[in-house]
Amino acid sequence: MKKITPDEFQIIIKYIHDISGIFLDQSKAYLLETRLESLVKENGCSSYSDLYRKAKADASKVIERKIIDAISTNETLFFRDSSPFDVLQHKIIPDLIDLRTAKSPFLPPQIRIWSAACSTGQEVYSIAIVLKELLTDLKKYNLKLLGTDISDAAIAQASYGSYNKFEIERGLQADKLSQHFSRNGDNWKIKDDIRAIVSFRKLNLLLPLNGLGKFDIVFCRNVAIYFTIEDRKKLFNKIADILEPGGYLIIGSTESLTDICPRFEPKRYIKSIFYQLKE
Amino acid sequence: MKDLKILVVDDDPITLLLLEKRLKAEEYEIKTARNGTEAFDLISNNHYDVILTDLKMPGGMDGIGVLEATKAKNSRTEVILITAYASVDNAVAAIQKGAVDYLQKPINFDELMLRLQRIKNMKKLVKDADDLREAMDITEFNAGQTIQNLELTVAQLQSQLSEVENVLSQKGIDSSERVRLALDRLVAV
Repeated sequence: MKKITPDEFQIIIKYIHDISGIFLDQSKAYLLETRLESLVKENGCSSYSDLYRKAKADASKVIERKIIDAISTNETLFFRDSSPFDVLQHKIIPDLIDLRTAKSPFLPPQIRIWSAACSTGQEVYSIAIVLKELLTDLKKYNLKLLGTDISDAAIAQASYGSYNKFEIERGLQADKLSQHFSRNGDNWKIKDDIRAIVSFRKLNLLLPLNGLGKFDIVFCRNVAIYFTIEDRKKLFNKIADILEPGGYLIIGSTESLTDICPRFEPKRYIKSIFYQLKE
Repeated sequence: MKDLKILVVDDDPITLLLLEKRLKAEEYEIKTARNGTEAFDLISNNHYDVILTDLKMPGGMDGIGVLEATKAKNSRTEVILITAYASVDNAVAAIQKGAVDYLQKPINFDELMLRLQRIKNMKKLVKDADDLREAMDITEFNAGQTIQNLELTVAQLQSQLSEVENVLSQKGIDSSERVRLALDRLVAV
């Protein structure tokens, strides 16, 4: 494998941080090598710094996109760690519907959910499946589900909504699979009624979140772990800004907001916790 | 990982015998079926890693039928189809339905062994990935419980301390009374 020099490493981690927010320290040199080597070859580059120069000079940003796709970790699965979905189903959604119905009894209750780093879509579709099974007739509600990710390739797959047998086997129960997906050979595609309530777009979480609108619930799981503490603070503050008062935040089960964002209050529901924006 | 368990399906007894002999020599575990229906019974009641089936067979179930039955039972079982004639259309249709590969008759055994080796390697990788994921899930679950408990404890202590700070900074109250109230707040929980 082509070795990366310490100087090249410094240049490239700064570049990766600039384009994606992902922070890599010196111990991750092997990660750059394993993930970028094929791009070095593919673009006819003599070294990693050569790849960097080409990426910077490429106005079409094709190489930049490929670097982001290669560096971002797309580890995800349907219903990854079931507890946030239990909280959503048994606590957050019922509470929100009560709140909305009490405020405006004649309007279809509005629920807006954002999956901030949706990868290939499994988390958003898991949320949509929870909504479908809980609410039955989705037309009676004003629902908006948004999935965003830094990787174009991930967003493209998410938007297409098709998964192979390995992706499907992980986390998805047989009854949910047959009910919400249609089979095409070894692949499974999400059904139209679920797909219709979800939209996707590419988004860099380090940039301003203008134009996303307001949300009632934000899922931001296992993405800030790749950021520096400073970037985490900025991110969770921006999330607090776009949440409605009392809005809900779900982070990864091993993440913490202590000393990151005091605007959120952790709350327990049975075995797991969720966060609520302080009023 | 033990060697692959393979079901060979072919209506031609000579091909069947030949395949059985060659695969057994490579220490694969072999079972044979003489037609689709026989294969269907075996697939329904047993687990196989690989099904090696002829495409054209007389009777109710051909190779595509065997493929479909296999995939319905367990999508992780790999199916290799054997075709008498080079037919791209058939091959594409089979692969669309989930076949991993197809071979043309007369069977080139070196090629078959290579494909089986490849399936074996892939199964090993999948198993390794499953094991790693299992280990990660357990670690993540335990770490998650610890971190979430700490998160709640810290939040509770922070709010308690800010109450104490409030009480202590109330200039209107006598200082010993402030200390008493602050101590009350501290022992409250």
